[in-house]
Amino acid sequence: MKKRWRMSMNTRKILDGYIFISPWLIGCFLFFLNPLLKSIQLSFSKLASTTGFQLEWAGWTNYMKAFVLDVTFIPMFLEVVRNMFVNTPLIIVFSLFIAILINKNIRMRWLFREVFFFPVLLGTGYVMQQLLGYNVDAQTMEVARGILLPQEMLVYLGPRVSDMVQLFMDRITIILWKSGVQIILFLSGLQGISPSLYEAARCDSATEWEMFWKITLPMISPVILLNIIYTIIDSFTDSMNPILDFIHTTAFVNRQMEYAAAIGWIYFVFIFLVVGLVFLVMRRYIYHTNVSAVSAKKGA
Amino acid sequence: MNTQRKAASVFDRKFRKRSGTINLEKFKHGSYWSDRIFRLLVYVLLFDLVFVFLFPFMYMFITSLKTDADLMDITVKWIPKTLKFSNYKMALRYLDAATGLKNSVLVTGLAVLGHILSCSFIAYGFARYKFPGRSMLFALVIVSFIVPAQTIIVPQYIRYASLRWTNSYKPLIIPTFMGFGLKGGLFIFIFRQFFLGVPKELEEAAIIDGCGSFKTYFAIILPIARSSILVSAVLAMVWHWNDYFEPTIYITKTQKYLLPQMLPSMYEMMKMEKQTLPFDPLTMTTVERTLNEAVVMAGTVIVILPLLITYLFLQRHFLQGIERTGLVE
Repeated sequence: MKKRWRMSMNTRKILDGYIFISPWLIGCFLFFLNPLLKSIQLSFSKLASTTGFQLEWAGWTNYMKAFVLDVTFIPMFLEVVRNMFVNTPLIIVFSLFIAILINKNIRMRWLFREVFFFPVLLGTGYVMQQLLGYNVDAQTMEVARGILLPQEMLVYLGPRVSDMVQLFMDRITIILWKSGVQIILFLSGLQGISPSLYEAARCDSATEWEMFWKITLPMISPVILLNIIYTIIDSFTDSMNPILDFIHTTAFVNRQMEYAAAIGWIYFVFIFLVVGLVFLVMRRYIYHTNVSAVSAKKGA
Repeated sequence: MNTQRKAASVFDRKFRKRSGTINLEKFKHGSYWSDRIFRLLVYVLLFDLVFVFLFPFMYMFITSLKTDADLMDITVKWIPKTLKFSNYKMALRYLDAATGLKNSVLVTGLAVLGHILSCSFIAYGFARYKFPGRSMLFALVIVSFIVPAQTIIVPQYIRYASLRWTNSYKPLIIPTFMGFGLKGGLFIFIFRQFFLGVPKELEEAAIIDGCGSFKTYFAIILPIARSSILVSAVLAMVWHWNDYFEPTIYITKTQKYLLPQMLPSMYEMMKMEKQTLPFDPLTMTTVERTLNEAVVMAGTVIVILPLLITYLFLQRHFLQGIERTGLVE
């Protein structure tokens, strides 16, 4: 009798694994899976009565409405997508650039490192929306641009160039404020590159420019992937995002819950495809070292 | 090819490092002065960036201390002529800051605690144990992080309403103890990344010494995950404190409002008072207490200040922690 209850080592390990993730499994069934499936169901149906939450099958009507009937949704969606495609590369390039600047041995490194995380504290919360309401970003740029590019210089360059600079600068403030987390991640990635690689390259008389392309970039490519995915998700789940606002008003102000669910799903499927595509494309370019062995030694 | 080389060498000269090996070569390539000037430019750029990053905070603090006259005066850009601290007094009164602060601290504190306890525990299971369905379940973790709260908010709301959880903090706190809640999936990911880098020998030694799986986790693994815990805690704190969407859905009673939720109601109250205030015939305006930017900014400072102070206490360990979590390896 006693023998039967003794589990093999393997079963025991499997059981332990399930016990460790059990809180998540419970939460998944209680709060996540059900709403997830319900909202799919909701997006394909028509609310018969709000009180008992009775659903009638309606096929693709809600989706058709989003793509064919609703004149506001598609332009808004394209705008959000365009913003994402413009902002993400800019955020990545700027945060990498800033991280490299700080990583050089300059004075007051601690100051820069700390300050660049500050806007994350404001995040995308209500306070930030408030500040943007007062055009704080434009005011920032006015002064900051004045330091870098004097107005007189722009006058010489002609109206077209100055317009372009203006357009670029308008976008850049918010981009910079959003890149706090990315800068920190890049910095830690840069810290993780072994200095001996650079020393060896210098002995072979490589220039800094070559070292950037041949050592720095491949070595931090996993961080670049992480940052790109983080940035994309962050821009899609940002509370200032007009689509999310639109979903919210459709569901709770206009009381068209099934339509809101349909839009939510169109949006989510799109995010999922973008993230998946980025992951698949980028994975080929990621440079893998056998880090686990090295870091294991470091940890011990 | 030649032009490329040339461009490379120009760039090279500019980016010289001040390390020992390079100093010798410096005399070969770039001149001392071009190096100096380049360094100066880098500092100008960096300080310009510092300005950009600090400006929102400077703006908030400065504007919150301005008098009405200073607000109208365009010449007063940086330093107000007189500091008006009563803006804060007014904002505090409108905001009902004591209640809001208490609620926000309670919710944020419990949610952060929940995220750290649950996400590290769950992540350990994902990182160290092999069981059927592991990769599929982990993919579901990632999905839970990617899916926008708005997509599933309607059924979720109905769910919580049927549990009679609306108008309480339960929908905000209880899911965090199960690895869900605001970006819970991301924290599981962060912890898992860290645990994957921990050498297995550590646990093997513990098991040989007679530790069970759970004792190993609580006595050995959790203490060495300190840096990951700190990183997750700071991020969770910032996100929960600033979260505005979920609280506005679930909490509609004014006494239960969280601090950021109090801001819009503060504006409403100020607007109402503006209408009811007597018109002052002398100055031809409704006196004071209108929706003025200084008071609004004082309100935002009050909302953000607790977060700012906590961050300043934690920031050094936090920034070091990020470098140690193995998040980016």
